[in-house]
Amino acid sequence: MNLKFIKTDLSLSVRSWLRSKGTVFWTILFPVLLILIFGAIFSGQGDIEYKLAVQNFDDTDLSTQFIEMLEESTFFNITTVDNDAEMAKYMQENDFIIGIQIPSDFGETIQEYFGDNTVSINITYYTDPTEQTTGPIAQSIISGMLNEYNNIITNSRNVVGMNHESILGEEFDFIDYFVPGMIGFTIMNSMVYGSIERNTKYRKDGILRKLLTMPVTRYDWIFSKMLFMMFLSFISTFVILIVGILVWGIGIQMNIFFFIIIIGTSFMFSGLGMLIGRFVKDQETADVAGGAITFPMMFLAGTFFPLDQMPDILQTIAQFLPLYYVNEALRNAVIYGDIDKTLFFMGFVIAFAIIFFSLGVIFTKWKED
Amino acid sequence: MIEKKVRCLQCGNIITSSGNPGEVILVTCPECGKKGKVTYKKEIQSDDVAIEAINLKKVYGDLIAVNSISFYVRKGEVFAFLGPNGAGKTTTVEMIESIRQPTEGTIKILGKDISRFFNEIKDKIGILPQEFFSFERFTVRETLLYYASLYKKNVDINEIISMMDLKDQENKLYMNLSGGLKQRVGVAIALVNDPEIIFLDEPSTGLDPKARREVWEVIADLRRKGKTIFLTTHYMEEAEYLADRIVIIHKGKIIAEGALEELINKYGDENILRIKDCKSKDIISKLKENDFETISEGNGDIAIKIKYKEQILEVLSFLKHECVDYSTIDIRRSNLEEIFLKLTGAKLREAS
Ligand SMILES: Nc1ncnc2c1ncn2[C@@H]1O[C@H](COP(=O)(O)OP(=O)(O)OP(=O)(O)O)[C@@H](O)[C@H]1O
Ligand SMILES: [Mg+2]
Repeated sequence: MNLKFIKTDLSLSVRSWLRSKGTVFWTILFPVLLILIFGAIFSGQGDIEYKLAVQNFDDTDLSTQFIEMLEESTFFNITTVDNDAEMAKYMQENDFIIGIQIPSDFGETIQEYFGDNTVSINITYYTDPTEQTTGPIAQSIISGMLNEYNNIITNSRNVVGMNHESILGEEFDFIDYFVPGMIGFTIMNSMVYGSIERNTKYRKDGILRKLLTMPVTRYDWIFSKMLFMMFLSFISTFVILIVGILVWGIGIQMNIFFFIIIIGTSFMFSGLGMLIGRFVKDQETADVAGGAITFPMMFLAGTFFPLDQMPDILQTIAQFLPLYYVNEALRNAVIYGDIDKTLFFMGFVIAFAIIFFSLGVIFTKWKED
Repeated sequence: MIEKKVRCLQCGNIITSSGNPGEVILVTCPECGKKGKVTYKKEIQSDDVAIEAINLKKVYGDLIAVNSISFYVRKGEVFAFLGPNGAGKTTTVEMIESIRQPTEGTIKILGKDISRFFNEIKDKIGILPQEFFSFERFTVRETLLYYASLYKKNVDINEIISMMDLKDQENKLYMNLSGGLKQRVGVAIALVNDPEIIFLDEPSTGLDPKARREVWEVIADLRRKGKTIFLTTHYMEEAEYLADRIVIIHKGKIIAEGALEELINKYGDENILRIKDCKSKDIISKLKENDFETISEGNGDIAIKIKYKEQILEVLSFLKHECVDYSTIDIRRSNLEEIFLKLTGAKLREAS
């Protein structure tokens, strides 16, 4: 291993990276901007209040308690809807985007539950499907409140449900969900595009051919580049986390898993970029191919929006996307602190990293045909 | 020139003939008139050889890009590998640089077979690939430091910078340099390990005439420093100006080989008189009627072979007599361009 080269390569790569306004923007400024913007829109700091229509057919204290809980959360400005009004029509006429309807057997079913813990009851969540931001966010909040409510009443099992259930635990805000997604997404992009550049532009420009005639092995070079890639990943990650903590007050838990996941993610997506660069030789086309692979993951892998509020088919698709495992692993490691889930998802991250990176290394070659 | 004595196959007479290594000379027996060929083998001392390619072949699908060629490069010479676009120059040079795998053939650099000992040779060669473009956001100085860090040998970067006349640009970003400067940096990069052999693949292509001249001076300078230079080019002026020896390659085959003088002696014509922008249309036929050997070059340009010195005057007085209007006249010997035309029937710049 040529340490002199690795040292020079690393320091010059960093310097040249700092000189490139474009890459600095995408690796640091862009994620920070997104966090600030999305955070401002969705953060549960109380600045935002959703108008919530509530129609309650139940006349027990149990439903009143639930409504009070919603009120106390400060997220909602609640309007009670007359029982003889037609909910959907009422909402349309009065410009409500979201509403819930509590069925008449709500309290009764909960009472029953203590004798027969198989029963359950659903409240109905009404939303204007054209409002794609408020709808899912408010739903996830209500869902979280429901969880808490279930917890208070039954201690563990869910007796009251909604059509969907949020993975957002009761004490987590949207921004807590968003920040790890942003980290995964940013690493994915800088790894894939960096790797594509090295395997297409450098080939076209003769740099790879030149290296082939110099005393450096492909492994030294790749090792050195991965060090730099890791540097980028950690810079992005820390900047994103610091903004998340300082501006939005997210609480994070640093642990060894976090580092392993970041490293695994860097290798995984560098390998993916190598594979793309290997088979699509022209840089522009390869960038398009990279975009075609990474862009959908932004939406389908639960990067920015909770998956469990999406249709089943999308939830199934997510399980085939590597970024999904990164997102979940990071969230569980850093935000939720759920070790079991962290290990589970991290296992996938490591497996994907090994597969993609080895394939990338095996398939890329410097020699010309 | 090598002198050789051969025995006539018909009458047994001993004939003395001379030729250059690699040449085949036609001899006629003064006794019986029998014609025969004398081959001069490329018997050069292996110590003098920097590069040797033997039966080198490269096939891409149906295309034979390089068709079983053999040649050698002497130590300390500028060797020009001249050929039109697509002739197989890059393919050949990159096989020698071990970047491409030959379909057939052997390559030796400094006596070592590169298929086995290329790693030992890496320290001794420096290359500038065709259309090379280094890292955009490294300065010139950083670029050189970067590539130098790959070698164990410690070369003085400052020396290379001043030798390549890059002192004023050393802190400029590579991406902001002009094409000529980029090529100069490219050559400088090829020097970071103080190599014995330098490969330059079309170093002046795409440059304006001034920048091209500068690159030529750099190459001439390297030669003076005793470096062996393998130069690939499709500019005959470049080969004429720089090369000690020239190999002309066309469609994957070597069609001529030797020093410029040798090539001209062997394939070139005697002096040729050129008339530019000749306004008279039937002048060619009139010249022919008067026993002048003409080669029409189109666009009113006419070339006339001068067979003996007095013929120059004859042509001029003929032109005067016929009141032919033209713009310029010049007389010179064949150049590589014409030799190429003669050997292939195509112009160097257009053949591809
Ligand atoms: N990787 C490849 N696959 C298929 N054909 C190739 C490949 N590389 C070169 N060729 C073909 O082989 C022939 C020789 O190409 P080469 O690049 O060696 O020519 P060249 O003399 O260097 O030309 P130029 O002046 O354009 O650089 C050309 O017809 C070219 O199209
Ligand atoms: Mg070429």
